[in-house]
Amino acid sequence: MQIIRNRAITDDDFVHVPDGTELPAAGKPIVTLARYTAAREELLARYPALGVRITPDKLPTDVPERSRLALIAIEFPRWTEGRGFSIARQLRQREGFTGELRAVGWVLRDQLRYLERCGFNAFELQPGKPLASALEAFGELPHTYQTAVDEPLPIYRRR
Amino acid sequence: MGNHWIVTGNFTESGAVAWRRADGTWSQRFVESGLLPDEQAAKRIADTANATEQREISDPYVIEVRADGSTLDPLSARERIRANGPTIPMRRPDSGLGRGKRG
Amino acid sequence: MYQYDDFDRRMITDRARQFRGQVERRLSGEITEDEFKHLRLKNGLYKQLHAYMMRVAVPYGLLSSTQVRKLAHIARVYDKGYAHLTTRQNVQYNWPRLVDVPNILDELASVEMHAVQTSGNCVRNISSDHFAGVAVDEIEDPRPYCEILRQWSTFHPEFSNLPRKFKIAVTGTPGDDRTAVRFHDIGLRIVANAQGEHGFEVIVGGGMGRTPVIGSVVRPFLPKRHLLSYCESILRVYNLYGRRDNKHKARIKILLVSLGVDEFRRRVEEDWEATRTPELELPDAEIARVSAFFAPPPYEKLPTSSDRLTALALGRDRELGNWVKNNVVRHKVPGYSAVVVSVKVPGIPPGDVSDTQLDAIADLADKYSFGHVCVTHTQNLVLADVKTSDLPQLHADLVALDLGKSNIGKLTDVITCPGLDYCDLANARSIPLSLEIAERFDRIDYLNDLGEVSIKISGCINACGHHHVGNIGILGIDKRGEEFYQLMLGGSPGNDASIGKILGAALPQNEIVDAVEKVLDRYLVVRESPEEKFLETVRRVGFEPFKQAVYGAAGTADAGGE
Repeated sequence: MQIIRNRAITDDDFVHVPDGTELPAAGKPIVTLARYTAAREELLARYPALGVRITPDKLPTDVPERSRLALIAIEFPRWTEGRGFSIARQLRQREGFTGELRAVGWVLRDQLRYLERCGFNAFELQPGKPLASALEAFGELPHTYQTAVDEPLPIYRRR
Repeated sequence: MGNHWIVTGNFTESGAVAWRRADGTWSQRFVESGLLPDEQAAKRIADTANATEQREISDPYVIEVRADGSTLDPLSARERIRANGPTIPMRRPDSGLGRGKRG
Repeated sequence: MYQYDDFDRRMITDRARQFRGQVERRLSGEITEDEFKHLRLKNGLYKQLHAYMMRVAVPYGLLSSTQVRKLAHIARVYDKGYAHLTTRQNVQYNWPRLVDVPNILDELASVEMHAVQTSGNCVRNISSDHFAGVAVDEIEDPRPYCEILRQWSTFHPEFSNLPRKFKIAVTGTPGDDRTAVRFHDIGLRIVANAQGEHGFEVIVGGGMGRTPVIGSVVRPFLPKRHLLSYCESILRVYNLYGRRDNKHKARIKILLVSLGVDEFRRRVEEDWEATRTPELELPDAEIARVSAFFAPPPYEKLPTSSDRLTALALGRDRELGNWVKNNVVRHKVPGYSAVVVSVKVPGIPPGDVSDTQLDAIADLADKYSFGHVCVTHTQNLVLADVKTSDLPQLHADLVALDLGKSNIGKLTDVITCPGLDYCDLANARSIPLSLEIAERFDRIDYLNDLGEVSIKISGCINACGHHHVGNIGILGIDKRGEEFYQLMLGGSPGNDASIGKILGAALPQNEIVDAVEKVLDRYLVVRESPEEKFLETVRRVGFEPFKQAVYGAAGTADAGGE
């Protein structure tokens, strides 16, 4: 499957492992938070690059030892879902998370720039959505008034 | 006589109210609506339109009307107003310059 | 007023270009209506009963004459020759075609206007006092802070998908709030502390709708430099914890009620301590820079005009006298007055202004008021800086345009939403009621005798007509597919905030205006003196006398139950 990562289209080197399915022998799995909290040490020991997927009702503090994760995926179950923006920003700015932050679920081309500004650097679009034209979305509103993860200075300190 | 169902929506390009004729084309005129005797059949048509006619029509749905000879009467105040237009003056009848293209 | 620099201009031209692309993708079928809906909502474009409706942002209501002419032009060329003033100081068009909207946005951008975030679950227009800058009781002009908040909230990525819409109001007259700060998601009152420094009293969680609530003070005094960082934390707490399961329970007022103000405050302050950076502080230089745009215009040095105003009000020209008495407000600069232009005339939906009237208003603004006009949340217009000596001529000019009604703050200065005639959300029509009221009570002596009384009408529970805070409030409801109306009394949006209470069973359309008349007649009978205002009487005598007047001694409705 292809994803967008760091503003480029790339093959996904991670694989989602839903609850109840077998973990891969090797590679880079993304497990649910429930599975991670049940077997954290084991998973971290077994996989050098581990990802955890969280639902938007969770906070960074609900993910133990998150700094050891290679990836955190935050779900957007509906296009109206907005908590992921704040969760991602907290992970980057309050927690200093440096791994991959991926938006999954109902991720719309026109939200990509906002998601990126909040700290996401990887995106799974819905099946069938053209990735190449989605890349154009990053350039559509290049200027910003307010601070975010990508910009520590508000406009009044940049004018 | 009796109650029938009509499929309606809005023309995507203009936003004007759209009424589905019996032959499957869409009209701006309420009186040209095709009458369907069965709510379920009407809903299926609306769903199909939603899936296949997005370019022309937005948000198709069905309404119930009482058909009495040549008059069509929607059952709710909302649908009556939607079919017949706003019940109040739409623009100021002043004698000023300039009439809009669609004024 | 604020002048765009290159950065501001680029922001809105980029946005107009982006939306043009989105419209093209909708028209080509590349995206469906379901996918397009949230995109058009981010740009103020609704789909209503008969057509699209486009809401143009008018930051804190302020317009230049150039902008007014552009709004007239758009009404003329792209719509049906009129525009509508809203209860949040914006302007709406009821009939734009989707295919024209990109061009409309380009035209707006050419005069520093846009439709960004006038709909959708994001931070909306920052509203303020329509007498900002000239009010006698103003301790500081709120508009610079409105502009700063506007820029901060525009395209804010983190708050682009809030649980629901978010409305902020700022007032600079803590003694007499005219912006309904206590009924906004965030209401900011500029106040002075014991040292005489100005800061903000931060009120959160006010609102109308299904569950009207008066906001709570979360922070009694916030230093100015923390304005943006503190608002960020409020928004963040709302974004994370606001309900998303039920659209009718999703505003921040619900969160505040469920957490309690102490717990809400604790979460906000916790986030604020953890996230505020020195960079986020608002420097004095920026406040000064933006304030400079709102510096006083080149007023002439004139003697005080209060005697002149009194003379005009009592003069032999009764039409002029009534207008001066009812529509003209004291100005803080000697020799000047603020004028409220009433657009409320019989036969015209409240808030509607024609293209020719708009063009004429632009000329009047240039001639009399330094080229500015302000939209009020009561759906009128203010010319804020008029020389008192110009009042008679201005009045004559307004009368010629049918904008000379002397009914500001009186019964026929009705506030109403578009209602079921236009709005997809409505349960009942509201405009016909306002037309009947304007027609039936169009007698200046009766209006003057009644004095200050506000009627606010909403066509559904979303309360865009602000019916909860009308002295007389009317709410349209759907009863078995037919339009009924609930009558309530005693609402007030200002410092003495109160939410109106329902008087009795809902009434059908052919009885509601009669009921209003009965309420008014009863007021005239039971008031202590002509000086006792309607609201004061209601608060003094309670609901019983009015209930009896409308529903009879038995206290039941004439028609139908609840």
